[in-house]
Amino acid sequence: MLKFRIGAQAPKAQALAIPVAAGAVLPSDLRAAAEIAGFTGKSGEACEVLSPVHVLLVGLGEAPSEGAYRAAGALAVARLPAVKRLALDARGLLPSHAAHFALGAALRGWRYEDLRTQPDEDAGRLAALDLLSETPGVEAAWHVAEAAWHGATLARELVVEPSNTLTPDGFIERLAPLEKAGVNITVLKRRDLEREGLGALLAVGMGSEHRPRLVILRWPGSIETPPVVLVGKGITFDTGGISVKPADKMWEMRADMAGAAAAAGAVYAAALRGSPAPVIAVLALAENALGAESYRPSDVLRSFSGKTIEVVDTDAEGRLVLADALSYAVRRHHPQAIIDLATLTGSIVTALGHHMAGMFTNDPALAAHVAAAGEAVGERVWRMPIGESHREAVNSDIADLRHCSPERMQPDACIAAAFLREFVEDVPWVHLDIAAMDSIETADDMHAQGPTGFGVRLLDRLIATRFEDPHRA
Amino acid sequence: MFIRYPYRPQGRCAKLAGWLVKWGKTATVREIAFNRGPFMLDVNFVKSALPKSGALVLLVAEGETLTGDLLVELDAATDGTISRSFAAAEFKGKAGSTCVMLAPGAGLSRVVAVGIGKAEALTHREAEEAGGHAAALLMREASATVAAGGLSASLAAAVAMGAALRCYRFDRYRTTEKADEKPKLAKISVLVASLAEAKAAWVPLKATVSGVFLSRDLVSEPPNVLTPAEMAERCKSLESLGLKVEVLGPKEMTKLGFGALLGVAMGSACEPRMVVMHWNGSDAPKGKKAAKSQPIAFIGKGVTFDTGGISIKPAAGMEDMKWDMAGAGTVVGLMATLAGRKAKVDAIGLVGLVENMPSGTAQRPGDVVKSYSGQTIEVLNTDAEGRLVLADVLAYCATKYDPKFMIDLATLTGAMIVSLGHEYAGYFANDDTLATQLFGVAEETGEKLWRMPLADCYDKQLKSEIADMKNITGRPGSAITAAQFIQRFVGGKTWAHLDIAGVAWSSKDTATIPKGATAYGVRLLDRLVASHYEA
Repeated sequence: MLKFRIGAQAPKAQALAIPVAAGAVLPSDLRAAAEIAGFTGKSGEACEVLSPVHVLLVGLGEAPSEGAYRAAGALAVARLPAVKRLALDARGLLPSHAAHFALGAALRGWRYEDLRTQPDEDAGRLAALDLLSETPGVEAAWHVAEAAWHGATLARELVVEPSNTLTPDGFIERLAPLEKAGVNITVLKRRDLEREGLGALLAVGMGSEHRPRLVILRWPGSIETPPVVLVGKGITFDTGGISVKPADKMWEMRADMAGAAAAAGAVYAAALRGSPAPVIAVLALAENALGAESYRPSDVLRSFSGKTIEVVDTDAEGRLVLADALSYAVRRHHPQAIIDLATLTGSIVTALGHHMAGMFTNDPALAAHVAAAGEAVGERVWRMPIGESHREAVNSDIADLRHCSPERMQPDACIAAAFLREFVEDVPWVHLDIAAMDSIETADDMHAQGPTGFGVRLLDRLIATRFEDPHRA
Repeated sequence: MFIRYPYRPQGRCAKLAGWLVKWGKTATVREIAFNRGPFMLDVNFVKSALPKSGALVLLVAEGETLTGDLLVELDAATDGTISRSFAAAEFKGKAGSTCVMLAPGAGLSRVVAVGIGKAEALTHREAEEAGGHAAALLMREASATVAAGGLSASLAAAVAMGAALRCYRFDRYRTTEKADEKPKLAKISVLVASLAEAKAAWVPLKATVSGVFLSRDLVSEPPNVLTPAEMAERCKSLESLGLKVEVLGPKEMTKLGFGALLGVAMGSACEPRMVVMHWNGSDAPKGKKAAKSQPIAFIGKGVTFDTGGISIKPAAGMEDMKWDMAGAGTVVGLMATLAGRKAKVDAIGLVGLVENMPSGTAQRPGDVVKSYSGQTIEVLNTDAEGRLVLADVLAYCATKYDPKFMIDLATLTGAMIVSLGHEYAGYFANDDTLATQLFGVAEETGEKLWRMPLADCYDKQLKSEIADMKNITGRPGSAITAAQFIQRFVGGKTWAHLDIAGVAWSSKDTATIPKGATAYGVRLLDRLVASHYEA
């Protein structure tokens, strides 16, 4: 984890990043260099000056927003990979801008070295950040941003860890920091799941010797309202089961628990910043493996809701574990809203590419808040429909529902959402299909290579703006 | 209306056409009327009174199964057959439910009851669907009477429109079908309270039905018949409706510099065409002195057959690619509709017509073409040809006609089918007002739309190593990147793009669309014009 400090001076820093708005007047000692480099402060522009001190000018564009400062912070880290200790010049900035400048840098500086025995020479070296500012309120603004950063970091570390150690129980072990932060953790093991009747989750997890778990993370908050419940798909590895996936890129399926990781990260963030809102996460953890006890295409399962589900394809397991987790959340926690996150379908990748997550809802007002939160933190979502044809696609010949359509070229993301909607009863609900968003293949100015923690900051912002007002109608 | 037109085929198409003409002599393939006399349902309106014979359609509101004078009278005349049948069939008037009674008495051959749900909430669209459901159950009757006396004149006309839309059939290539195998329904009489109003309401709807049928015909035609030249001829024949039609051939397009469109056409022996259809229906003063009015513009992708070209498609399902001209089909049907109902608007319709073939002269993956706009395009996949055609037509339209807005329609990407399926077309817009208008009329007409995003991050994916842009990106988000590609050619005009790949063809019957070509978009855009752009 990066070291972080706020102060007026940064004597040990090796370089200083200075954010510059488009057209802003530069100090005279930097003006000549900027002019030669053609640096004008446009967003995405950077200009490195090596002496007398090592400075990087980073462009903010016109009318700088929180997002522009995050991008500038990220760009500074991307362009100075060899710098171990970086100072960020936030003197005179609004506290929220200063905090997001630091957040962008901290997020971009993420890397994962736990499994290396030799250091990676090519990796970035950033180990510490100094935020230069004496503005009152910067500490408080950073406290909020820092919580989101820690939440995202937790999620990224969960997503990146391979599936031989990050089993369902391995996932649970890594939630220890949440307990320290005041989150109550309950784990339903196999016998509990059988007693409670979570037949869909059990079926998906039974092919593996690492048995499925349902985890409930409870942050009590301080206001007397029904909780907001976050539900996450946590398939610690997805072989596809009996409907086994092609070998090509199957390794990516270690990230098929990114939804659960994001939900856990968001609860962690809420706890770290002492959110007044009661927040619960329900994580459906299972490994979808091939085994003698695996469930089969054509099996009919009895879900926790009581509805029966015909299995068409064992590789559409995410919606099965979510079905049980959603019903469990609705019936046991009586939420005021549910947001679920899942790396659910290939269809959403085709539909929206790697720039936006797909959002489905039964409550357009809640969806609008989710979209606004996503826009504010740079985790964009786009609303997609649940139409009559999508609902019809999950009619079964022999059970209450089937979980997907057997035909090819289907709008499977919409169909999956239509299926999930059957399990949320009347609770306002948003489903985020984050299949294209969990990881980044190649690093760029904004993102480190690897897991993104997508969803943590969106949820954290949503909770802060939507669920912390005790007088909200 | 029967239209004969000159036909001068060239090259390989000459051979095909020769065969066709030969066939035409015996099977009258050439003698095809577009306004299909026999299949356009003959609709008339009459004063509400119980018919003495034939088939009768009852539109029954939910929970009102035996109210209304006509129903009570009928039930009495049939000694209670109607009420007993409703009870036996548990028919309660739920929207979309039906109940058929054969030889119920009172001289009637058949009574078809169609539920319309809550009467006070009945929409135009639901009335059409009721008409469609009724028509589907009347195919064995030559004529029928529809009791719509309880409905407003405009809803009664909508019922007739639904029935007419459902009766469409593309059977001009069936030569061995016996007469008794064909559907018989040719005429309906709609019983209404206000004759004059209903007749007036029917006039524009009839024009719309004709436009829809024209579009369905074009989409249904096989690709050996409907070549670009043939389709252009059929557009030309619409001059009889008052449209002004210009046809541009390869010579004209070469002169204009349509490098992108011509590149696609290169592999085929059938020459490309671009057709511009003008409808000047507004009251704006015409002539040299009049202030120049900005028309609204509709642009259609018309790939009359898409093999994929050198980047050839897999064989399975390739026959569907005859309807890769559905966007153009819609634009032609729409222009015929606007002219047919004398819409008070200045509109232009442009279609880019090509065939995408692999051959020794075909465009290759890797070619760079220069578009009409001057921008260069690296063609990395010859099967992403629709956007190349649209690029030139849109840029030409923007430059030459300075339109108020441009809306293009195209069966553009498989990705759109994987995104939304067959219920919604995906649409993209650079203008929120136009987007909102489109969404509104989509809800009204039942030709559903879902908005999809445009954003710089998608546009960046089009970066080419050697030209201004490339014509494909990877599969992720590829319907969006296709829209971004097209946006580069709209010259900053207000614009919307409808990707209709999932909705141009229906694999099953629906209330007002028999299985096959849907003519998706004709009604949607006709309504857009009627609701927002007519003076």
